[in-house]
Amino acid sequence: MNPYILSVLLMGLGLGTTVTFASSHWLLAWMGLEMNTLAILPLMAQHHHPRAVEAATKYFLIQSAAAATILFAGVTNAWLSGQWEIQQISHPIPTTLMIIALFLKIGLTPLHAWLPEVIQGLDLTTGLILSTWQKLAPFALLVQVLPDMPTLLVGLGSLSVAIGGWGGLNQTQLRKVLAYSSIAHLGWMVIVLQYSTLLTVLALTMYITMTTSVFLIFKLLKSTNMNTLASSWSKAPVLTAFTPLILLSLGGLPPLSGFMPKWLIIQELTKQELGLVATLTALMALLSLFFYLRICYSLSLTSSPNNLLGLLPWRMNTKQVTLLMTTSMSLSMLLLPVSPAIFSLVSAL
Amino acid sequence: MTPIHYACSSSYFMGLVGLVLYRTQLLSALLCLEAMMLILFISLSLWALQLMSTMFAACPMILLALSACEASAGLALLVATARSHGSGRLKNLSLLRC
Repeated sequence: MNPYILSVLLMGLGLGTTVTFASSHWLLAWMGLEMNTLAILPLMAQHHHPRAVEAATKYFLIQSAAAATILFAGVTNAWLSGQWEIQQISHPIPTTLMIIALFLKIGLTPLHAWLPEVIQGLDLTTGLILSTWQKLAPFALLVQVLPDMPTLLVGLGSLSVAIGGWGGLNQTQLRKVLAYSSIAHLGWMVIVLQYSTLLTVLALTMYITMTTSVFLIFKLLKSTNMNTLASSWSKAPVLTAFTPLILLSLGGLPPLSGFMPKWLIIQELTKQELGLVATLTALMALLSLFFYLRICYSLSLTSSPNNLLGLLPWRMNTKQVTLLMTTSMSLSMLLLPVSPAIFSLVSAL
Repeated sequence: MTPIHYACSSSYFMGLVGLVLYRTQLLSALLCLEAMMLILFISLSLWALQLMSTMFAACPMILLALSACEASAGLALLVATARSHGSGRLKNLSLLRC
């Protein structure tokens, strides 16, 4: 892509999220969300491939409908209570409509059907931006709305973890696997939204770190399905040894840092007398762990039959700048011992 | 609920249902999206009149500017879909299901 256009689009993405973060009026929040949608559409459709165009069209329809419903809920709240403040939304009907529209924006069950197909149609870099950056602005609105409906949030959150786990079981395409993992992680984030917005932001931060590393690893290995992953031991052997740790961190296993949000969320749910919900959600997370393990299995735990031509790829160095990948890999493996520091860092926000 | 509020809410939900339950063409979904934006424009204009305040009178124009950008992006995507898939039918957008 033309570098000027690319820089304008990336600056538009940054500005959209910043506007939504800085806003206290629903109209301005809606503007930031629309700017994000408009800026990412050319990035999605840049390859002019039919799959990319289809993904961009579906994304556009979903996000525009969700953003319009967010603004409509704000207008309804203004009609019913007289003010436009984001933190002061008080009437239950606009609050419920707002929550559901924000769930459609991020791709939470039962409004998740667009996410696997859209991520499947994109290249890995744009899929990364979609999974990480585009989730920030709606979550900024979600943690400020502070709804008083624990049943809806806990119910939809645990349903998301279940659907994210079950949906990813039948996938071999890595982008769809990452989409279902996104749905499951968003479920974890939303479960504690009613009780501790700090934990929601912590879970979001850890999810962004881990997903960044996984997307960038797949980009370096140039693989989009599990078959191609099987030959990555010849492209980057050390990376092939480390990637299972990142995937297990996504699955939430101690002593890796993906365990931190799950542990703290289960602790918070237990404090709120929701021990059964916490148990069921943790059991549903086992489904996600199964398909992460399956990726580890095809990546490094099995070796495909050797042939001489298979040894060639490691001699050709990759041109990709690996700074972000290595930083996020280190963070997604090693942050568990410093979790009090991470906790205080996130609580300062 | 005042009659104006009821009228705006019901027409918004009709537009949303029209977006969700599209028939064959992508263009019908885009039209319903535009209808939703227009209802929001009318709601914001009525809000500014209700408050008799000039400060809120700029809000509908801001909404209109951004929704016009969004409509043109939607139409550009319709053209791109027609070029890559052959027609604007929504049943053709099934490449990503498998």
